[in-house]
Amino acid sequence: MSIGLNAFLTIAGLLFAIGFLGVILRKNTLVIYMSLELMLNAVNLALVSFSRFNNSMDGNLFVFFIITVAAAEVALGLAIIVALFRRRQSVMVDDLNALSR
Amino acid sequence: MTATQSILAALLTPLLSAVLIAFFGRRRGVLSSIVSVVAAAGIVGFTLLAIRSAQNETITASFEWLTFGDFTIHMGILFDGVSATMLSMVAFVGFLIHVFSLGYMADDKARGRFFGGLSIFMFSMLGIVLADNLIMIFIFWELVGFSSYMLIGHYLDTDEAAAASKKAFIVNRIGDLGFLVGIVYAYWHFGTTNLSEMEGIIAGNSELISTTIAALLMCGFIGKSAQFPLHVWLPDAMAGPTPVSALIHAATMVAAGVYFLIRIDYLFTPEVLSFIAVLGTSVAFYAGFCAYAQNDIKRVLAYSTLSQLGYMAAAFGFGYPGVALFHLITHAFFKALLFLGAGSIIHGCHHEQNIFKMGGLFKKMPLTSLTFILGTLALCGVYGFSGFYSKDAILIAAGFESGPLFVLLVIGAFLTAGYMGRLVWITFFGKSKSEAAAHAHESGLAMTVPLIILAVLSVVGGLTQFWPEQLGGLIRADLDTLHHVEGYDAMHLKVIYLGTAAWVVGLLGALFFYGFGAKEDRLETKAGPIYGFLAGRLWFDELYNFYVANIQQRVAELLGFIDLVIIKGLIVRGSAGVVGAFSICAKALHVGSIHNYVYWFLGGLVLFMAAAAGIF
Repeated sequence: MSIGLNAFLTIAGLLFAIGFLGVILRKNTLVIYMSLELMLNAVNLALVSFSRFNNSMDGNLFVFFIITVAAAEVALGLAIIVALFRRRQSVMVDDLNALSR
Repeated sequence: MTATQSILAALLTPLLSAVLIAFFGRRRGVLSSIVSVVAAAGIVGFTLLAIRSAQNETITASFEWLTFGDFTIHMGILFDGVSATMLSMVAFVGFLIHVFSLGYMADDKARGRFFGGLSIFMFSMLGIVLADNLIMIFIFWELVGFSSYMLIGHYLDTDEAAAASKKAFIVNRIGDLGFLVGIVYAYWHFGTTNLSEMEGIIAGNSELISTTIAALLMCGFIGKSAQFPLHVWLPDAMAGPTPVSALIHAATMVAAGVYFLIRIDYLFTPEVLSFIAVLGTSVAFYAGFCAYAQNDIKRVLAYSTLSQLGYMAAAFGFGYPGVALFHLITHAFFKALLFLGAGSIIHGCHHEQNIFKMGGLFKKMPLTSLTFILGTLALCGVYGFSGFYSKDAILIAAGFESGPLFVLLVIGAFLTAGYMGRLVWITFFGKSKSEAAAHAHESGLAMTVPLIILAVLSVVGGLTQFWPEQLGGLIRADLDTLHHVEGYDAMHLKVIYLGTAAWVVGLLGALFFYGFGAKEDRLETKAGPIYGFLAGRLWFDELYNFYVANIQQRVAELLGFIDLVIIKGLIVRGSAGVVGAFSICAKALHVGSIHNYVYWFLGGLVLFMAAAAGIF
């Protein structure tokens, strides 16, 4: 039995929704960060599925780029979070409200 | 040294002295006075060298100073007969006054500032004398204005001097506005401001001569030479030290206005010339009356200067610039002498300036008194003295040109002798009327030697036939023209009779009226209203004060209101308010919670997608 495109897309959609809700609801920047990565990978999954479905390499090509960018982003983002923790001793979103003051 | 080098050296020596004093001499009075006097002597030396090596030729030199696009300002010298004559006078009289200042200012605490001011003045004055274009003349014109301001305000802790220096500066600016507009107009009209080039252009095409330009440039002369209606600053300028009054406000700077007219005489149309003649005559007449109601020895002389400047202007207006220059030179000698004499008296009387508190000074200060009286005789135009020759020429010219002006100028001569007689009889004869005058003493050599030299010049300075050949070419030429006018002999005789009558009647009349060493002004006690009228000086100052306080002040307040409400209120505060209101809204978006920013981000995304989909 082969699994259809819809199954992959549903999984991708679910993953994206989980990531999105994580970004919106969670308070810890690290978790928010992981949720962001989750959303990126959900998109990757959808792209790979489409690529397979259409028998073309277009989607795969995009995925390589996204992974590269995500890697760079992680390197930068984690560094920011580490620096933030060193200065503020907290990575909770509620403590990071200097702009409102 | 070539002539050009000598001229440049004469011009730059006082500048060097001023710079030295400004940097090193401010607290070293003796040093700076020596530097300044040596510089003044240097000017005399270089001037003589320049005149000798120029050999009667016109020397020109010029270099580009500033270039804006296709407009270039040149700095240059035009050294001809007229400027050589003026230069010699300024250098020589200036040197004598510098020497006199050594004695007069010996006790002053701020000698460095004083002598530095004299040096910068000499520099600026020589700049006017030598300049070859209108812009350069204007620059130095403003520089003499500045040095005059600085030196009038020398006693800066007295309100009188501070107010007088400001007044002199501001009143001169009014005239200089016309001068500046005139320069711009002249450049637009002729395409150059160079004196020789403009003369060439007008010689080539006399239609190019413009009444407007002449009238505008005349404004500068009216301010600097204290003619109507800007004469009010000169009497007040007497608040400065006496050598300054002698140098700047009698011999050189105020005469620079007349000199400037002589330099550009080819620009003048008959209408402007007649206006200047009328203007000069009325000042000569008016100032003669004002002098009767002055008790300050320096202010009497100041009105006398006004009056004599009026004579020079009149001579220029009659079309005899050479005669105006002649009177300028002789006036410089005898008026510098009179002012220095007054300085010597003031010094001897411990800074008493009221003539009714002097008296009997002839016995105590014989040299000063004798030279002062010689200067008075020269000013009154006694036959054979220098003032006689120049005033005689002016009156003859007036007699040919215009009957009414001739009458007014002759009356002016009577008035001159009258107020000078009043001054001399009251000051030098009779008994001392104050402690200070009773203990008066003759001044030292530094002050009496310049007096003696100037007295000699005042006596013989009018004999143009004995002047060096290089000097006074224009004067001799104009006198010669005058001699060959139809009916010269009759007019000459008439003027001699009238002139002689003027000084005899004036001096003796003053003696009979006031008597030797009067204690109080008899005119004031016997004819109070007349004295009050004369003391009012036609209420020019009151009129100007009224204008400034009631009209100009209202306009200023209106402008201030517009500034406050429209510019400051509406435009500046208003635009700041708009930005501020916007920023309050923008600030509300910064809630400080990352989750909210995610919503903003999403909202923005939706907005852009909607726009991309063409919903808007």
